[in-house]
Order: sequence, then C-alpha cells, then structure tokens
Amino acid sequence: MTQHVSPPRDGTGKAAPVDGPPAWRVRLGRADVRTLTLLGVLAVLVLIGGITQPDSFLDTRNLQLVLTQASVIGVVTVGMTFVIVSGGIDLSVGAIVALASVWATTVATQEYGFFGILFTAVVVGVGCGLVNGVLIAFGQMVPFIATLAMLASARGLALQITDGRTQVVTVSSVLDLGERDAYILGIPPLVLVFAAVTVIGWLVLNRTTFGRRTVAVGGNAEAARLAGIDVRRQRLYLYLLSGLCCGIAAFLLIVLAGSGQNTNGNLYELDAIAAAIIGGTLLTGGRGHILGSVLGVLIFTTITNIFALNNLQTDVQQIAKGAIIVAAVLVQRRTASTH
Amino acid sequence: MAPEPPLLSMSGITKSFPGVRALDGVDLDVQAGEVHCLLGQNGAGKSTLIKVLAGAHQPETGTIRWRGEEVTLRSPIAAMRLGIATIYQELDLVEHLSVAENVHLGHEPTAAGFVVRGRAAKASTAALLKRLGHPEVDPGRLVGDLSAAQQQIVSMARALSHDVRLIVMDEPSAALDPDEVDNLFRIVADLTADGVAVVYISHRLEEIRRIGDRVTVLKDGRAVARGLPAESTPTREVVALMTGRNVEYVFPERPSAPPAGEPVLSVRGLARQGEFAPLDLEVRPGEIVGLAGLVGSGRSEILETVYGARKANAGQVLVDGRPLRPGSVRAAVRAGLGLAPEERKAQALLMLESVTRNVSVSAMSRFSRGGWIDRGAELGAARKATRELSLRPDNPSVPVRTLSGGNQQKAVLARWLLRGCRVLLLDEPTRGVDVGARAELYAVIRRLADEGLAVLLVSSEVPEVLGLADRVLVLREGRVVHEAPARELDEHRVLDLVMEGSPAS
Amino acid sequence: MTKLTSRRGLLFGAAAVSAGAVLTGCTSNDPDDGEDKAAADTQPAADDKPGKPITIGYAGPQADHGWLNAINDNAKKRAEKYSEVTLEVTEGSNDTAQQIGQIETLINKKVDVLVVLPADGKALTQVGLKAMRAGIPVINLDRIFNSPQAYRCWVGGDNYGMGLNAAHYIGEKLKDKPNARVIELAGIDNLELTQQRTQGFDDGLKNYPNIKKVARQAAEFTVESGQAKMAQLLQAQSDFDALWNHDDDQGVGALRAIEQAGRDDFLMVGGAGALSAFEAIKADRGVLKATVLYPPTMAASAIDLARALGQGKGVSGLAEFEIPSTVTCYSAVVDKDNVDQYMSTGFK
Repeated sequence: MTQHVSPPRDGTGKAAPVDGPPAWRVRLGRADVRTLTLLGVLAVLVLIGGITQPDSFLDTRNLQLVLTQASVIGVVTVGMTFVIVSGGIDLSVGAIVALASVWATTVATQEYGFFGILFTAVVVGVGCGLVNGVLIAFGQMVPFIATLAMLASARGLALQITDGRTQVVTVSSVLDLGERDAYILGIPPLVLVFAAVTVIGWLVLNRTTFGRRTVAVGGNAEAARLAGIDVRRQRLYLYLLSGLCCGIAAFLLIVLAGSGQNTNGNLYELDAIAAAIIGGTLLTGGRGHILGSVLGVLIFTTITNIFALNNLQTDVQQIAKGAIIVAAVLVQRRTASTH
Repeated sequence: MAPEPPLLSMSGITKSFPGVRALDGVDLDVQAGEVHCLLGQNGAGKSTLIKVLAGAHQPETGTIRWRGEEVTLRSPIAAMRLGIATIYQELDLVEHLSVAENVHLGHEPTAAGFVVRGRAAKASTAALLKRLGHPEVDPGRLVGDLSAAQQQIVSMARALSHDVRLIVMDEPSAALDPDEVDNLFRIVADLTADGVAVVYISHRLEEIRRIGDRVTVLKDGRAVARGLPAESTPTREVVALMTGRNVEYVFPERPSAPPAGEPVLSVRGLARQGEFAPLDLEVRPGEIVGLAGLVGSGRSEILETVYGARKANAGQVLVDGRPLRPGSVRAAVRAGLGLAPEERKAQALLMLESVTRNVSVSAMSRFSRGGWIDRGAELGAARKATRELSLRPDNPSVPVRTLSGGNQQKAVLARWLLRGCRVLLLDEPTRGVDVGARAELYAVIRRLADEGLAVLLVSSEVPEVLGLADRVLVLREGRVVHEAPARELDEHRVLDLVMEGSPAS
Repeated sequence: MTKLTSRRGLLFGAAAVSAGAVLTGCTSNDPDDGEDKAAADTQPAADDKPGKPITIGYAGPQADHGWLNAINDNAKKRAEKYSEVTLEVTEGSNDTAQQIGQIETLINKKVDVLVVLPADGKALTQVGLKAMRAGIPVINLDRIFNSPQAYRCWVGGDNYGMGLNAAHYIGEKLKDKPNARVIELAGIDNLELTQQRTQGFDDGLKNYPNIKKVARQAAEFTVESGQAKMAQLLQAQSDFDALWNHDDDQGVGALRAIEQAGRDDFLMVGGAGALSAFEAIKADRGVLKATVLYPPTMAASAIDLARALGQGKGVSGLAEFEIPSTVTCYSAVVDKDNVDQYMSTGFK
C-alpha cells in the first residue's frame, strides 16, 4: 500500500531502487508455505501410518504401492490442473479414461500388440479432448456443459463397446509392464511415467509460453485477448492436453488392472478436481500449481492406503476424506493469510 | 465553530491491514447540511475511512461520535440504522433484480411480515426516482439493463429509501456525462438543503470547487488538512497537500514542427452499425490524435474496432498502407497496434500476476525459443521497459495489483513498448489516476510520441484531449462533427460542438 | 470328506437346474436336503411341448456389468427356445422413472406375463402392483419389490447363501490348520446384498473356531477397484490362508494385484460365476480354486415360470398345481471337480 510517488518528468528511470522487503520474496514465501503445508499434511499422514502399522506401512513395497496407485489419477490431475488454471473444467476425464481403456483393449486392438494398445488409448484420449476443445473454443459452449455431455457420451460409447463385459488383456508385453520384474531401480514404470508427466507439466506451466498463455487466459480472458493471445486456440489446446493425459492414464490403468472395463475411471473427475484444489489451484482460474496437485493426489492415495492397512471400512474412509479436504484448505488459507 | 456538536465527529481513527497502516489517527468532522469533500491519492486511506464510517471495517482505536454521542458501528446495518448511507464507486446492485427490488433490498415493504408488497415498493421507488430527477427510469426494469448513470441513480435511491442523515458518495461523477453531473449536483444541493450531510469523494478538483463546502485532505493514512474552505483554497495548495509536493497540472510541450511523413495508421470508412458512422482518420508517427466526445458518442467503440476487438461492418484499417484483417486482434497486434483499454483491471491486466508477466505477455516470442521462456531475458526486458516509463516501485517482480492506478497504466504502456508497437490506442488513459500522477503520465505519452509512436487518444475529459493531442476529432453520436489542430480549440468550443453538433462560432 | 461329497451331489443337482429344471436346487439352502436329487430331471418347467401362444414382457436393467448382461442374454435365449412365446423386451435402463414408463407401456400392450428385474426394487413396487391389479402376473427377478402383492413369483439369488457356502468351502479346506487367517474382499459397501454376503460369510466361519477373519475391504464391483483394494489388502496382510472375493468381475483386478505382488500362498474363492473365473479354476494354475454362484440362469428360469403362468400350468416335479411364490436359487460352489458342468453358464 505504500505509495511511491515518482518525481515529475523524471523519464530516465534513474530513481533508486525501492527499499523494504522485495515483493517477489514475499510471493515466493507464500508459494513455499502452501507446498510446506501440503508436505506437512503428508508428513502427519506418514506419521499416523507409521505408528498404526509400522511393519506394513513403512516398507518399500508399500511406497511402491502408494505411488503406483497414485499414478493413474495423478496423470489425469496434471491435465485437469491446466484446464482449471485456464478457468475451465473438464468433467469428462473419468469417462475418457474409461472409453480409451476399453477401446484399447478390444480383441481387434489387442491384435496390434503393445503399441496398438498404447496408440489407441492415446488417440482416443486426444480425440475426445479435441471434441471438447472444439465445442468449447469454437462452439462457444460452457466447459461445464460440453464436458458433461462428453462424460455421458463417452461412458455410453464405452458401454456399447464392451456390452458391460470385462475385456481382459492378453498381450504379455503390456501385462509385464505392471509386474515387479519391470521395476527400474525399484521404481515401477507406471510411477516413472507419472513422474515424467509431472515434471513436464510443471515445466510447461511455469517455463513456457504455452503455460503463460494458459495462466493469462484463466486470469483474465478478455485482457489476454486484447493483449493479442489467441484465446480460442489456447482453450482448444488445453482440452486436447487434458484428453492426452486421460489417454496416457488409460494406458497406465490397462497395465495396472490388466483389463479394460467401461466402469473404469469412476469419479476421476471429482478426485482430480479435489486434488487440484487442495494443491492450491484456484477454481476460478489464473493460478495453479502442478506440484500442489500432485501432492494432493499423494495425500488422497496415502489416506486410502492407511485406512486399508488399518482395515477401516469404506464409510469411515469417506468421512475422513471429506474432513481432510476441508482441513487442508482451511489450514492453507490460514497460513497464507497470516504470512 | 457551531454551537451544537457536529453531526459526525471521528477522531484518532486507526486501522491496519497485514503489513499496512491504512489509517493512522484520522480526524473528520462533518456538519449537518454541508458537503464535505474528501481528497487524497489512491492509497491515501479514503476507501478505508469511508468503510469504517459505513460499518464495514472496525477501527482499532479512535472514537466516533454521532450527534455528540459516542457510537460503535459494528456492522453496515448499524450504520444504516443511524442514518449513514454509502454509495460505493463500484455499485453494489444486483443486476438480475428490478430497480424497485434493488432499492428495497433487505427492507422490503411487507404485508403480514413476509409477503412482499411489490406494488408499494414500485410506487415508493418511483417517487424516489422522481425526486432524483430521473422519473424516466421504470422501477420494474432489471438493473442490468440500465446505463451506468441510471444505475448510479438507483444506488442513490436505495440510500435515500432509508431515513438518511449522512450520505457518503465515492467518486459519483466518474461514470457520468456533464449533464448528468449537473443533475447529480442538483440532487446534492437538494439533500443539503434538507439538512442531510454529504461526504463527497472525487478526483476532480473543479467539482469540489463547485459544490464543496469544506475539504479534508488525506495522505498516507493521515488527515494533512482538515476543514479547508472548498472555494477559496488554491488548487496548488490542495495538490501540494495531496502529493506532499508542488505539482503543476501541466501538459508537456508539443514539438515545434508538426509531424510529417506518411501516416502509419489510416482508417477509411470504418463503421459499425448502431455505434458509429463511417470514419476516416490518419495518424502519423510522432502525432497524437485525440477523439473528444460524450459518453455514448462511440469513442471507445471506435478504438476497439480499429484494434479488431470488434468487427467492423464496413471500411478498412490500414497500417503502413496494408489493410488489416477485420475483427482480428492478433492481426492488429502483429501489425504493430497496441491498446490501453478503458477498464484496465477488466480488460488489460492479469491482476494475480507480477508486473513482469503483465508487461511481457504480448511479446513472449521475444525472449522465448521453441516456446521455452528465458526468464532472465524476460525480467531484464520488463525492467528496461518499466524503467523507461519510471514505473514505481522500480521492481517488476511485484504483483501488478499492488500498483497505483497510474503505475498500472504504465505497466500497460510498457507492455506495448516492449512489444515494439508503433501505433498506441489510448482509451481514457488517466481514468482512476491520481491528479499528481497525471502530469507524469502525460509526459510519458508525449515522449513516446516524440520517439516516433503514433497515438490515438480517447478521453471524456476535454482539457486532457486539448492539452495532450496535436489534432482533435470531435465526435457526436458516432459521427465526426469537427476536426482541427488542438491549439485552435478550447474547452467551451468543444463542448458546444459535442452538444450542438455544428461548429458554432 | 463325506460331507463334501454329499454336497457335491447336490451341486450336480443345481447344475441340472441351470440346464433345465428350475426348482430343484433353488428352493433350499440346506445342503442335506436329499429330496433335491429326485427332481433332477432334464425337463424345463412345465414341459417343452408348445402350448397356447403367449406374450411375455421383459424389463431389465441396463447391462453395464457382466452379470446383468448375462441375465438379459439368458432371458432372451430361453424365450427363443419356445416357438409359442413372444418376448417383448424393453431397452435396459438404470433410470427408475424410465423403467416405470417402460413397464407401463408393457401393461398397456396387455402382455400375458411380466418379467421384471427392477433398477431399484423399492421404487418399482408401485408399478408392479399396477400390473398385478391389471391382471398381469409379475415375475420379480432378483431385486425384490417391497410388497408381496406386487409380484406373483419372486425368483432370485441367495446372497446370504453365497457367503455361507464360501465360508463352508474355505472352512473345509482349512479345518485342519490351526489359527487360520481369512480375508474378505467385499463389493459395494452400501448395497444390502454386500451386507448379506458378508453376514453369511461371517456366520459360516463361526462353524470353524480355528479360522479368524483378519481383514475386510470393500471394492466397487469393478476391475480397477478390485486391483486397488486387493493391492492394499496384500500389503496389509503379509500372511493369510484364504480370501473370499464377492464378485468375479472385481476378481479380475484382484487376481491382477495378486500376480503383481507375486503372492501364491493362499487360496481364493470368487463369487457370481464369471467365465474367466471358471477357466482359471479349470486350469488350476493360480490361487483361485473355486467360486460361489449367483447364477444368471435365474433369468431363464423366470421365463420358464412366466410361460407356465401364462399357459396355466404347474411345474413338473412338484406336487402343487401352481408354481411357487418364491424361488431362491442355490449358491453352488464351483471348483475344479465340477467346473466343466458350469462352463456354459459362465458369463463374460
């Protein structure tokens, strides 16, 4: 609020730099507080897990398990974070994962082996994203409605393809990727993919013009347009990106579950949105954090893991999950405002 | 002074926000029936003070006396019960409700305690609107369908629907045309004649001279002058108090020789149905061309159409003789056009982002390779551009929302400077900019022109157009009625033109 | 061992049911009910000879799950067998309102008998009543109506029996092992049928004091959830002897998790009777040793009963002139020894 009154007609910019805490440090500090809060929540969870189940929780296999279980929804969440940062929403992610996973596991597709499955999953994901993007960017549809329509149609199409049947994968190279033998230095390949998507996502959002445009469109679409950004094309790309992430996630799910089913990806949209929000991404757009989203996913997966290890039942799990969402957001807001 | 205690007496009010002391022991006395003007730059504490008065903020220390009795304003309702009404600059009306519903929001006339008597509400609203000189506003219309000026009237009617003793008006004239401002002043005079006190906040010193009784000047959360006589205090003194130094409200000198050379921007027969008639104009490098006209004369629409943000029905925009693709902002930007729009916060700035990112957004390709941003180069370029415009603070990493209005405008100009734009379209460049900062902004604009930029300027403040522009086009109802070098015009003549439409002599 | 054999005898009876006679295996949970064998004829209910032409209306749910798909298939195939039976099939729907509309249409068309598998038994009770009042007998399949007045005959599976028989099978396998540990992978937890299956399982295990259920997690009848929950269970329980999984569909995922964890130190019993489970049991290479039926053939039986009702016949093998008012299908245990018999009933 300090008013810096510049001397009149001093056009040369020779004025001394301003004293006081540079605002960038304050800002960086706030971002750190957010990340630290999430890490703190995760640490508390690890503590709880370690105390209640010291043997089965604090175990390499369990770490591998938690990270593997987080991979599928994690990849979806990275894509979702981009869409939310741009001020949009993608309700169709779960349905796209389902459609891509069943399309990629039909008998016909499986004949083309590993790359046939991978290719189909990615193409179906991107294709659905393209439809979303075109409807939103050029059809001027509200993202909520367009992706809701995609949710319904993709689920319907997935059901039509499968007839409700479970499509078991018989391509051994795909199945092998989910086995212990495929671990690289003890890291499951699924987790490596998740890590790669996270790193790439972070770089794209924070270090590229694409990321800047995304933030600009989400922060103020009109200002972005008047600044010369092609807002429509950017929106199209963003839903494509989300579809791509869904396609990758569908492939991971195929590897993980060894099958494709039309019920796959159930409520992924809500899990992904919740993780992004916990991670500090504004639902109104304009600000988002890939790392926060990923931490959100890890928090949820860890909670589920701890509950399962302690043999707590679904009802208790759900109650606690809701409570932790509220608590995490409240703690974050408090630390952010007192900082 | 007065034998009886003042209507309102605030003393020693302090209020802090995290990191900021917004009010630091402010005193304010308001007499019944006076117009008390509150002056100060952005961030001086005016908004905080009136929010304390409205019950929206609770002060940490200090006392508030109302007709001599100490009171605590715990909530806006408490303030309203005493008879204090506030009309905020950003109108707090519900667009999807009717005028009558807005006026009576929260205190609807009811039958049996809960059945809203719509007809009674409409009747009393109509009476209020008539008293405010706007009987043409239909109480049944949706507020969202009204003009900004009419919405302000509705806001005022809402204040008057209570038994009001003191009205706070926060820059009420900002969105009004001269005749509407006249009407506003008539209403203020009526109110004070009835013994109602008005706390009036404005940037326009001439208004304060016209209707104000006394002036309190705020600076950095303190009242640096209290109860100055509004009519007789010299402008210089007021400005000096506000800024803490002596500033002349001056315009930069024009270059001695009129700009020569081929026009960089040519507009030929450009028109939009219902907004403005076919328009021709040319701007040469180094030239500032001003468009003067009333609200609704099509000024902003012309700028936005030239820029491609609106699609023209007819005509062409040419840059260096090459026509632009109509309706494409990107084509305009690529050709070297840049717009500083009227609503900076809504149309230009990314309020969550740093100055750097706001400045760099239109020129990202300059310091990126294959989409990869060189952040060092970006920061350096932003620093250079903002320094060139003496943007304060001299730290482009701060969030743009922490900047004052004038510096936010400089951030927008820096964006186009960095982009290397050659034609600058300025829409109300000093709206929301402090008096003290305006002169500096004028100097910046003139300097940019001197460096070879072509500038097309739109302003509702006639002296600004006359003082800054080289050539002026006078608009009336979407049509150019007169064109002349600025030095051949004066304010009266321009006002005659925009009112009458004929170049009366 | 003798006990097991006698039960297997019974299982053969149940197999015959699915191949033809409905009632035999379906009416009793009691494994020692010797009368079942007497009814093991190969005749369909009533008899195969064409009777008077009738129209049966069939309203089922949307086939978004392998078992439901099999239910619809069974009904259609059974009807095709009878030249005099016309089956009016509505498009499957999970929407209560839509299903009510579909059934009302069938009532207006004046079909002779209705076979209804409601999306929600409670919500469709009224329309069942309406049909009955209109003089159209209703065969209520599986998800039961609120009121017995809303159906002439209910045909369904035995969820409690599933749990019970799974427990008995596991119990017999582990009865000589001291301190045996068992875990349960349940289905969607807020469904009554899941609670019933768990109850039956727990009650059955009480007969074996040496066995303790050490963990239970609920999945969602999907492969994905089966994999996820099973992976966690395996991590939580490093040592256990048997697993009962409520549903073979989620079992695909559970088996995947078991494979990924490299575990083979326990036996697994499935539920429902999917073809993939049958094949795995027959091949006998993994942990899956048996599955407890929740037979989709009940839909075929429902068509048989509907035909008998429509033609005014009783059911052969029973003394009564009328068909029974409730038919509870037996939840047979299918293991390596009898799996061939069931192979054709397995659903995908």
